[in-house]
Amino acid sequence: MVVPPPDPGEILRALRSRVAALEAHRPPPDAESALALGVPTLDRALGGGLSLGALHEIVPATPLDLGAAAGTVLVLAVHALHRVRRFAHREILWIQPELAGLEAGRLYGPGVAELGLSPARLIELRLASERDGAFAMEEALQCRALGVVVGEFFDDRALDLVALRRLSLAATAGGGLGLLLRHRAEALASPAATRLEITAAPGLPDGFGGLGQPTVLLSLERNRRGPTGRWRLTWDHHEHVFREAPAPLSVAAAAGDRPHRPDDAEDRVRTG
Amino acid sequence: MRRTGSGPDDADEIPLVTAHMVKSAQRIAALNDAAARLGLAPGVTVADARARHPGLAVVEHDPAVDHLLLTAVADACDRWTPLVALDPPDGLMLDITGCAHLFGGEAALARALAVRLAEGGLAARIAIADTPGCAAAVARYGARDTPVVVPPGGQDAALAPLPLAALRLPPGMVASLAEVGLKRIADILDRPRATLAARFDGLLEKLDAARGETDTPISPRRPMPACVTEQNFAEPVLLERDVLDTLARLGARLARVLESRGEGARLLETALFRTDGRVVRITVGTGAPLTDPARMARLFADRLAVGEPCDPGFGFDLIRLSALATERCDPVQGGLDASDATAELAHLVDRLSTRFGARRVTRQMLRDEHVPEHATACVPAQAARVAGSRHGLVPSPRADALVPARPLRLLQRPEPVQAVAEVPDGPPVRFRWRRVLHEVAATEGPERIALAWWRDADGHALTRDYFRVECRGGFRAWLFREGLFGRETPHPTWFLHGLFG
Repeated sequence: MVVPPPDPGEILRALRSRVAALEAHRPPPDAESALALGVPTLDRALGGGLSLGALHEIVPATPLDLGAAAGTVLVLAVHALHRVRRFAHREILWIQPELAGLEAGRLYGPGVAELGLSPARLIELRLASERDGAFAMEEALQCRALGVVVGEFFDDRALDLVALRRLSLAATAGGGLGLLLRHRAEALASPAATRLEITAAPGLPDGFGGLGQPTVLLSLERNRRGPTGRWRLTWDHHEHVFREAPAPLSVAAAAGDRPHRPDDAEDRVRTG
Repeated sequence: MRRTGSGPDDADEIPLVTAHMVKSAQRIAALNDAAARLGLAPGVTVADARARHPGLAVVEHDPAVDHLLLTAVADACDRWTPLVALDPPDGLMLDITGCAHLFGGEAALARALAVRLAEGGLAARIAIADTPGCAAAVARYGARDTPVVVPPGGQDAALAPLPLAALRLPPGMVASLAEVGLKRIADILDRPRATLAARFDGLLEKLDAARGETDTPISPRRPMPACVTEQNFAEPVLLERDVLDTLARLGARLARVLESRGEGARLLETALFRTDGRVVRITVGTGAPLTDPARMARLFADRLAVGEPCDPGFGFDLIRLSALATERCDPVQGGLDASDATAELAHLVDRLSTRFGARRVTRQMLRDEHVPEHATACVPAQAARVAGSRHGLVPSPRADALVPARPLRLLQRPEPVQAVAEVPDGPPVRFRWRRVLHEVAATEGPERIALAWWRDADGHALTRDYFRVECRGGFRAWLFREGLFGRETPHPTWFLHGLFG
């Protein structure tokens, strides 16, 4: 007797359901599960904001943008401590390999304080070997006393897919915000929820010719919840808020691929 | 204490002596039983001994190696009492006050000690007495068979038949005592003390110490732990898992004791005693008083995971957990949801410190200093008790500035850059850092920071003019020019010191 060939549609459905289970889709975010950045279009793209209990990658577009990327990471961390109620008494752990410190400098307490974070709430871990970074970050992400764990990685060899997946699971278990600051912007596959590419941008000069507020060009390269796109943001270190910076006149408005009907989820391009 | 021969039949043993240079002649320092049977003794010159016995084996005396052996044996003796002192060159002093009953009494302890040392290939003479002086004298000069237990208060009777050298008098004094006919301790026990004190300085002090008239403490090698728990094994344990299980059990016992005292452990030590006498010690520190046994075991597990592999040999037959340092720790009532965030964070810091080293887990403390690199100090997070950490977000120190005045990242040392300025003391127009040319779009500055003259031993400290610059692409850096043009130096140099966020 001939066994009828299995229906390809059925196989596909079964596979899809298995993938969906593996992907562990969470319910849509509320105020305590996502960090709204205060920029409406960006928050809409992110589906409410940067999801907490997840891993996010921040990469500088070029090595020169590392300062801006590190600044964005710190500002996101400060923003999280400030906005998420259950993070109100939590601390930040910043993991940095020694080599990265030699290359791009260590965090500087007075500068950290000026961006709005008391250095007393910052613990730094400086590692001799980059391979320990993933282990330390995983342990830290599982700790519920930390709000934000930042892992800086100079070299991508320490971060394979398995390590990233473990980090992502640890972030889900701990409920904190995991930020990966990767010095090398290689477009590898990653289980991180989002990937933000940071480019330093000229700040708008103030009326007296001095320096303007620090501005970055944030490019949402990968986003599990919605479309990608580019935004020009500034950080107000007095009020601890992000603002969308007006584009300089000489540059065309940043378009990106924003949804043309923001309310209609079906039309969005899913990536990641 | 001496190393015994290789086997039970000493007849085949080669006469062996160690020799060292005394008064420009090679003399025997120590010898084995076979050599002693030939009639040799310490102090005989090697030339004489060789003339009498051509087959004699001579090796160089090495006091350093002897000392290593002695300390290794002292380590192994830690299993009997925490108070073990070295009595160089060849003795150990154990204060077994309050410990003997754990091993079935003093005599049983001495026998067990002798058996253990014999298993390790060492011949030892053991004596137990009320005073260290008496025990040492009896062990070295007493009856042929040891162990000897001098009953309490029996020092006089035990000391009386011994030669005066047993009191460890200076070498000249023994000779001059012999000249006046005093050879044994019995000879001076009943003498009038005044005449002895007048002629022999220090003699009565030694005698009184040995008799127990004065109290002589020993100086133990290790500090006395605040609290100790231990577990003996009839069958040695070999597996790391078993060791960790034992530590968790011991930790629970330790925690109960500490809790009843209202204390928590700050420094914990595990001592693993191998059956062959080696001792492996693992110490972990904590940032806050710790009473949770599971966390104690976790710290040791972390240390075992990264430390050099610890060789169990034929197994550990005694595992001891001690709290070397404790601190007052008031019990905290846990909430119903048991979300004890502070303790959890302290534990994470402890674990990271245990694994990577306490100097690598740091917090920054701001200091009131002008020189940028001195304005902050990294302190180990375990040592930094954060009093005011809960106030959280701080207002910017320079609330009027539109941009932060200090960089987010400071390079570990300022890196020289080639910069061009329109006038020698003006802001930079372009600069080259790490081989990349940057065109400066906007600057703020200078902010003049003079180095502290009192810190500057050579008098070469140059004033720095700091500029915050933004380049064409948006790259922001903190540059400074070292040296005031014309006044301090004709060629000021430029450095890049930090990166802004």
